[in-house]
Amino acid sequence: MCALVKLIDALEILKHPRSDNAPAFRLGLACGFTPLHFETFLRAHLSQRFPGKRVHLDTGLFGDLIGNVERLARAPEETLMVVIEWQDLDPRLGIRSLGGWRTTDLQDIVTSVDQAIARLQGSLSQASDSLPICISAPTLPLPPLFMTSPRQASSCELQIRQLVASFVSSIAEEPGIRVLSSQQLDELSPLGDRLDVRSEVQSGFPYRLAHASTLAEIVATLVEPSTPKKALITDLDDTLWAGILGEAGPEGISWSLDQHSQLHGIYQQFLESLASVGILIGVASKNERQLVDRAFERTDLRVSTEDIYPVEAHWSRKSDSVGRILRVWNIGADAVVFLDDSPMEVAEVKEAFPKMECLVFPTGDYKAFWTLLKHLRQAFGKSVVNEEDLIRMKSIRDAETFHSVADGSDSLDDFLQTAAASMQVQFTRDGRDGRAFELLNKTNQFNLNGRRLTKAEWSAYFEDPAAFLMTVTYEDKYGPLGKIAAVLGRSDDKTVQIDFWVMSCRAFSRRIEHQTLRQIFEKFEAEDVHFDYQSTARNAPLQEFLAGLLGTPVLPGYSLSMAKFSSKPFELFQHVEEIVHG
Amino acid sequence: MVEVQDRLIRCFASVFPDLPEGQIRSASVETVPKWDSLAAVTLVAVLQEEFEVEIDLGDLPELTSFDAVLRYLSSHGLSPNGHK
Repeated sequence: MCALVKLIDALEILKHPRSDNAPAFRLGLACGFTPLHFETFLRAHLSQRFPGKRVHLDTGLFGDLIGNVERLARAPEETLMVVIEWQDLDPRLGIRSLGGWRTTDLQDIVTSVDQAIARLQGSLSQASDSLPICISAPTLPLPPLFMTSPRQASSCELQIRQLVASFVSSIAEEPGIRVLSSQQLDELSPLGDRLDVRSEVQSGFPYRLAHASTLAEIVATLVEPSTPKKALITDLDDTLWAGILGEAGPEGISWSLDQHSQLHGIYQQFLESLASVGILIGVASKNERQLVDRAFERTDLRVSTEDIYPVEAHWSRKSDSVGRILRVWNIGADAVVFLDDSPMEVAEVKEAFPKMECLVFPTGDYKAFWTLLKHLRQAFGKSVVNEEDLIRMKSIRDAETFHSVADGSDSLDDFLQTAAASMQVQFTRDGRDGRAFELLNKTNQFNLNGRRLTKAEWSAYFEDPAAFLMTVTYEDKYGPLGKIAAVLGRSDDKTVQIDFWVMSCRAFSRRIEHQTLRQIFEKFEAEDVHFDYQSTARNAPLQEFLAGLLGTPVLPGYSLSMAKFSSKPFELFQHVEEIVHG
Repeated sequence: MVEVQDRLIRCFASVFPDLPEGQIRSASVETVPKWDSLAAVTLVAVLQEEFEVEIDLGDLPELTSFDAVLRYLSSHGLSPNGHK
């Protein structure tokens, strides 16, 4: 990342303002220094990340970081960006204050930093309830105020660094708070090239332009992270392991130091790490299936074969294998990375799936391998791991079983009656449900209107006393699906208005949507339910469901009466439990 | 000197986006309403980056017009092709 943007380039980007009609994105920038060119860079980077929006930045007062955090948290911001520098924790750690650097002052500075951090932490924790927060811990070098030579760390310096490290590690655990990686910044902006002493003294802006640009670019990606990829399809020979299985046999392939094939072991370990956070891993290999199964029986593999599904091992084209895997996973090619050591295979898959990221596995090239791992972590990085991530692979395997049994049943009713399905539904007026928010913003097929909400819009929705959130968690004898549906609506005197309704495609064919609607009618004793329906390019499953209830094509302004719903001849077999807390 | 002037025009155009290109050569603090202290500091930063020179903010009172900036850059060792 980081194509360094110069100040003149940033100004050029900002010369083309968005239309006044474009929706605004409001960011609060809390810092204790004059934001000056950092603000310009940040606005430019955010404008690029929000191409359809007008970026509006609010800033605060010079020298009052904590006050700025508290003020901006009360303003109508969508995200709060907090950029901390040492002088915000004690002015004596900057160069615009002459508070004293005597040895006897140092312990007092440590105490003062501790107190400032406590206050800042309290303000941030409170603010994080209402809006997402991105934080950059101090990026500048500490001034030479300690008694030791710069080559030797002093006790006070280490205490100050420890206080900050402890603070950021603690705050990073708060939901809704993202902390900038100092390692990433260190790679892109050398520590010695960050502080501009002249600018800091003369104008209160402490950064050299290159550092301001790099820092702004990274924090902009924290504000609006790229959508993480969902799945990886890997080749086997000279990729998952070193060697050709068909020639060396299951015992001849390797991934260890002593066989000079450690990179493949690291790669396996990396795949296991991805799988542990819900990334799907599949295999597309030109090999004999029987041999692959024997290789997968080796107990020294660094990735569990439980985490790999499906395995396409035969002599057909790789693109055919990839196509089948995508159908099993039911995800788009743009959410997948394909890895193979053969440039020809990579090209063949890329031609068949232009939106898929297809990469050559750099066998034997240590430097390129390291770059690849970092790139993959960038592509698959996610801020939180939820319960659904942990059961995703099992759920896909279970779905295969579910559909094969369903296909063999005499009727859907017969099948569903024996599925031992249970649903937990929860109605709440509290919007602090990260999974429901995620479902709303990533579900396409069963989606009432395709509308997305920012965190701020989501929170604002619940300011309406009539608003409710309904979530559905499902399980049957084929396995748990987790929390798979969310409905946002408003109830008023026997009428319910549904503004948003999404359900994971993993939950299709189980009449969960029918039961969801029944629960809404019953919960609110509703006579009519109105839907804010809009057709989208991808919500055909939702359209078919609604049209089936009404018996006519579905149109915007769709509504359904209890009488009409009850007259429909379908049976529901789920055991329903309402969760009442929350 | 033509190359320096062209690059300087680009700097002014980026800092004063509303200023028509034909008026940049005659621009001054008096004729450009948006030439305030913030714009002046931004202009200095852009000049430092573009021409790789160090400009002290104490010199801001000298930098009050396009011509003045051009003279300042020349007096600080910038050759006509823009290199020191």
